[in-house]
Amino acid sequence: MKDVETRPRRYEWIVILAILLASLPLILGFSLLMLSSFSREMVTNLDLSSFHFTLENWINVFQGKLATTGGIRTNILKITFNTLVVALGVSGVVTFISALAGYSLSRIDFRGRKHMMVLLLILHAFPGVALIVGVYLLYRLTFPQNPDVIRLYSFFYVILARAALEIPMSVWLMKGFFDTIPWEFEWSGIIDGASRIKVWWKIMLPLIKPGILAVALFAFLAGWQDIIYVRTFLIDQTLATFIEANIEAEYSHMPLIAAAGTLYLLPTIIFFLTAQQILLQGYSGGIKG
Amino acid sequence: MVKIILKEITKKFGDFTALNNINLKIDDREFMALLGPSGSGKSTLLYTIAGIYRPTSGRIYFDDRDVTEVPPKDRNVGLVFQNWALYPHMKVFENIAFPLELRKVPRQEIEKKVREVAKMLHIENLLDRYPWQLSGGQQQRVAIARALVKEPDVLLLDEPLSNLDALLRLEVRAELKRLQKELGITAVYVTHDQAEALAMADRIAVIKEGKILQVGTPDEVYYRPKYRFVGGFLGNPPMNFVEAEVENGHLKVYESKIPVPAQYRELIEKLGIKEVLLGFRPHDAEVIKGIGEGLIGEVYSFEPLGREQIVTASIGGTFVKVFAPEGEHFTFGEKVTVKIREDRIVLFDKKTERALEFLEE
Repeated sequence: MKDVETRPRRYEWIVILAILLASLPLILGFSLLMLSSFSREMVTNLDLSSFHFTLENWINVFQGKLATTGGIRTNILKITFNTLVVALGVSGVVTFISALAGYSLSRIDFRGRKHMMVLLLILHAFPGVALIVGVYLLYRLTFPQNPDVIRLYSFFYVILARAALEIPMSVWLMKGFFDTIPWEFEWSGIIDGASRIKVWWKIMLPLIKPGILAVALFAFLAGWQDIIYVRTFLIDQTLATFIEANIEAEYSHMPLIAAAGTLYLLPTIIFFLTAQQILLQGYSGGIKG
Repeated sequence: MVKIILKEITKKFGDFTALNNINLKIDDREFMALLGPSGSGKSTLLYTIAGIYRPTSGRIYFDDRDVTEVPPKDRNVGLVFQNWALYPHMKVFENIAFPLELRKVPRQEIEKKVREVAKMLHIENLLDRYPWQLSGGQQQRVAIARALVKEPDVLLLDEPLSNLDALLRLEVRAELKRLQKELGITAVYVTHDQAEALAMADRIAVIKEGKILQVGTPDEVYYRPKYRFVGGFLGNPPMNFVEAEVENGHLKVYESKIPVPAQYRELIEKLGIKEVLLGFRPHDAEVIKGIGEGLIGEVYSFEPLGREQIVTASIGGTFVKVFAPEGEHFTFGEKVTVKIREDRIVLFDKKTERALEFLEE
């Protein structure tokens, strides 16, 4: 499609300019944040004279110092690990469930299938914040007595709760991907002697790899970025809640928070740079035949 | 190696009847073509034999075994799809080996069988490529190899040649026919291309709107169509039809009169039919310049085809196409006489469009 001229070339720069203008505040904000993470003082108000290069912040981040003068020690590596656990957990649960559910909705004509699809859309439109009281109630009710497993349980619960928010949309996405696969692939497998589940695993899943990747990435980022659910349910901190908790604390050294913030942004940036093509494919719902 | 018997098969999708009371017997080692226009239900019938669709009513037998409720994998059929449905994430070898792997055949035997079937189809040098690295013709062969590797009792083919270009189609057509006979496998072949059906099949079942109109050898369906539709669907160009009235031993077509063909004299008398459709094939008539004995009309158009030419004549507004030898020159609007070989004329009842000789069936 790239080679098809859809509009005259000379208007292209207007479009580019508009895109640049629209994203300028974001680009500016992110650049200042990253710059500050390598500086002794915060680089704010576009005042570059306050930039003094140092790696101290990053070293401190990885040594787990929150304030430069000794002070509170927080193990950022551990927080990063927590974040990873939540994000991977959400991603795993969402991908697994939506790959199965999307297949069923696309391929199996069971009773109530249409209603279920409408219900999924309604569920998706429901804001997660509105549900949090009920979800919290359930959390209290199921909270384990054994103090040894409390931490583990809070991870388990936050992953499930956060995944539940992502699942409706992901199932829709997956269904869309399965819909693009011609029935013949499946029939061929069935005639060759495969069970439905084997067809799903051996033929269908490999065919919708871009879709799986897209869903997994979005779910990962959702888990990585979440603040409200993590703060409500998780006993430990993740990068998001850590930054949020310290951003206005008097003892915190802001450039250090900037370094933590940059660390927090990293996966998002990496994913969108490397997986751009796949995600675009994901959006257009296409596969290469 | 089985014979297939379809008994009163009806298949409905919601309110739509895709197959309407189909009765068909396919002999062991026979090459049966299911021929019909798109939407006629021929693919549905094929998938019903394969077990992908369960008939709404009716039974399917492989030999004496009732397979109506048997799942596809236990019917031992090989199916080649129109789009071939090769698994794009598997190499050619893995594609062909897939049915065997599912049957838990030992690795060594898989290796041996895949190579055997690949050799038979001349694709042994393509085994470690991916499907998208192959040409259409090669993908086609892989699809056939995958269907054959499990040594099925029945080979089902769903328009397997329609994605190939014209020349390749002719080549594969001949090869496929030979392969089927060499393997001695019962084959059902779905196509909308009448030439393919005529060229390859032992027998042809012509299907329209979910019903079988006629089953017979290529000669039978070609020369003795039971319905106007069958005559008009087979042949290129297809059979010509002109309306005629029976008038004391003659057929009156527009302003011309020809005698009722000898083979129909008794029948017409017996049936007492007045209005008929006169059908004849383009190569069963000749165009004679000027006015003579036959159907008189004028030249509407002519198309040289090298060895011969197709002359389209208008007989009182009805167009008929007739082959004429090369070198004969026609002009637009010229008066001609279409002289039909009497013994090749097929008469149909105008109302039911059924051939007169099958009218009482």
